[in-house]
Amino acid sequence: MTYLFAQLTSDDVTREIARLQHGYYWLSWAMIVAWAIVVVYVLLLVGREKKLKREIASLKVMLEEKQK
Amino acid sequence: MRDKIVYFAGAAAIVIFARDIYVAAGLPEEASQGIIFKIIFFHVPLAIAAMLASFVALVASILFLVTRNFRYDALAVSVTEVGLALLAGNLITGSIWGHVAWGVWWAWDARLTSALVCWLLYAGYMMLRRAIEEPTQRATFAAVFSILAFIDVPIVVFSIKWWRTQHPQPVFWGGGSFPAEWLGVFLWNMLAMTLLGVVLTMVRLRQEDAQRELDAMRRMAHAF
Repeated sequence: MTYLFAQLTSDDVTREIARLQHGYYWLSWAMIVAWAIVVVYVLLLVGREKKLKREIASLKVMLEEKQK
Repeated sequence: MRDKIVYFAGAAAIVIFARDIYVAAGLPEEASQGIIFKIIFFHVPLAIAAMLASFVALVASILFLVTRNFRYDALAVSVTEVGLALLAGNLITGSIWGHVAWGVWWAWDARLTSALVCWLLYAGYMMLRRAIEEPTQRATFAAVFSILAFIDVPIVVFSIKWWRTQHPQPVFWGGGSFPAEWLGVFLWNMLAMTLLGVVLTMVRLRQEDAQRELDAMRRMAHAF
């Protein structure tokens, strides 16, 4: 093991770090995009729910006024 | 009661996802692909959850045509919309994985193309619903379209078995295997993704109920 480490050059270490960073970079992007889609969809659902509640409330008021 | 189930299932999904991200970060790299392989913990559960959503939409559509009960139509549209979001996540994570593993963002092979066609078909389903005003006609046309769109789902699933593709063979039914600790994270993530799909579908279903209530009130308002 010590013999193997002794054969490593600084270029090998730099290359390994670059390889790891490349993998982490794209893995992070994949995770961000996947969660962004879920978050955007949840926000759309929340927005739609608020709009529906608002419309139902205003229609209820209108119907009550018409019944009077 | 339904709200409590939604909150509990949503909280459970978040806890499982958080735990899995923590555990997956500590797992060693895959020998040939390196760290990017860990995207499998999200890419595959997204696909399986989306395919499950398609299956539920198929069953709900058939039940609507048989019973003419609009609850099934509401379930079909809710689960299709959620499945569409999950499949979009699957396609995009797959594209990023392909960029690292194959050096290209996209390959027009049978698996990738059929999955994209599947997404486009269900997007078409959503557009079809918006195009038809009359509720019964809308639900009937949409149910028939959903049943026809499901034909693509087995093609997506089995394409990697039927044709030689750029996309690799499946890990579990293609002769491969996972180490026990990888399998644990994968299965927990599968459960969390399914829970997420169920929660989103229940929320969306509640909106369909509210929409029906709103439509009924509008009809009443017009009658006055």
